[in-house]
Amino acid sequence: MTDWRRIDIDAFDPESGRLTAADIAPPYATQVSLAELQPRIAQLRTLASSGDMQAAVALATSDPPYSADAQAKAAYFQAVLETLTQVRQADIAGVVKALQPAQQDVLVKYLYKGMSVPEGQKQGGILLAWFERLTQAAGVRPVTHYINDRNTV
Amino acid sequence: MSSVLSIFKLVKAPVYSHCFSQDKSLLAITCENTCLVYRLPPANSVTSSTTPQLVATLANHDKTVTAVDISVHGRIVTCSQDRNAYVWEPLSDGSYKPTLVLLRINRAATCVSWAPSGYKFAVGSSARIIAVCYYEQENNWWVSKHIKKPIKSTVQCLAWHSNGVVLASGGTDGYLRLFSGFIKGLDSKEAVANSPWGAKFPFGALVREYYHGAYIEDVQWRSAIEKVAFVSHEGSLNVVDSQDQLQSVNAPDGLPFNSLCWVSDAEILCAGFSCHPVLFAADATGAWAFARDLDKAGGAAPAPVANEDLDESEDANSGFGISALRKFKQLDLKGKVSTDAQESAHENTITQLKPYVEEQGRVTAVSASGLDGKVVLYRL
Repeated sequence: MTDWRRIDIDAFDPESGRLTAADIAPPYATQVSLAELQPRIAQLRTLASSGDMQAAVALATSDPPYSADAQAKAAYFQAVLETLTQVRQADIAGVVKALQPAQQDVLVKYLYKGMSVPEGQKQGGILLAWFERLTQAAGVRPVTHYINDRNTV
Repeated sequence: MSSVLSIFKLVKAPVYSHCFSQDKSLLAITCENTCLVYRLPPANSVTSSTTPQLVATLANHDKTVTAVDISVHGRIVTCSQDRNAYVWEPLSDGSYKPTLVLLRINRAATCVSWAPSGYKFAVGSSARIIAVCYYEQENNWWVSKHIKKPIKSTVQCLAWHSNGVVLASGGTDGYLRLFSGFIKGLDSKEAVANSPWGAKFPFGALVREYYHGAYIEDVQWRSAIEKVAFVSHEGSLNVVDSQDQLQSVNAPDGLPFNSLCWVSDAEILCAGFSCHPVLFAADATGAWAFARDLDKAGGAAPAPVANEDLDESEDANSGFGISALRKFKQLDLKGKVSTDAQESAHENTITQLKPYVEEQGRVTAVSASGLDGKVVLYRL
């Protein structure tokens, strides 16, 4: 009985069933497709190129495509990353402060996502600068929410 | 007035759960593989110097005891990671007679809650099962009925509505669910007549379901106003009513909550990883917001000046050896700077809040157990 933690207690219980990723996926009513996201991505690029970074970041962190598939998420993330990297270092603090708490929660998701993919890692310094300003403005709340939220960007 | 009424340093192990008896004369805590029962003076005579007397050790479990609850009749129920629950019947000599409950689960039991009647209780488990247990006269033991669907992960918390039928449960699948725990022969249909939560309550029926996302750590009813509140690991307090109006407020410091306690119809106390309770209040429109912190660490540091004045006068009287004394005192002061910051009564995460004193429908004192092995009484 020393290694009781290793006993397969479900071996003879067909009903038991283990927890799968599908079991804990958030229930989405509809799924957003890449085609539906294209106008938003275009809008994001327009705002960023016009220099209205506040509006661009606010748009990027509002109503993120949680229900989209991995490919659509990646395309949308690319646009968000471009926006984030275009903001001047000195402006980051102001932009972060002007965001709603819910938008700050979304922003931190994009920062972590960025740090987990090669495209984002190339911009690691910028993402860390965002992260620093964000935690200065909002404390650990966005991080706690990120860790606990099953909605991924 | 300090918000801390009393600090009981009870054990050198985490206390995951505690419960007072109906008359507040007994306090049961979980401690490793046992449940310890302490005797206390009446609630109105408890002071900061009160020490609880250990009167019984309930030691039948062979794995960590996860939860304890005491019924209106004084029966103690404990559940444990050894997949068992015991009902402890108080005997006239102060000892307890254990009865094993047949939970029929293959994973740890995580939480337990007596129904208000004291004739049945619910046990939540990691086996995605809620076992509703009741006493069966003919077999002379506690049997259980299972609620399985549609629970997808560990059940973390359970709470009975005062009608004894609607059972709220929250878990790591991120859902708050309301089930019917109606047991034929124990419950009457009159109890749920005109209930705003539903029309029919067959056993195990899913009454309501709310998706929250994060682990739900605690759930509590305010039956009189038909509202249910729950706290989650993302550090939010959520209140929902029978019209499915759900409100959510974040913890002021962003740390996860473990427990909550209704203070009045418009006040809820929450506590968790920040080591001190936080009060939330609803305004006239029913919108919930952070109200204030209780016993927050790093607040007003005790003024060392008064002490020094006292010492100074002593020095003047003693007349000799002053310079040496002063030298040591200054050395002492160097170390004192960091320790001057006031610490909260709980030095670690608070695991459970329970109402302690209730006056005219408002809770005026609450008890809180923590991972630091303490039970702290807070005044509101």
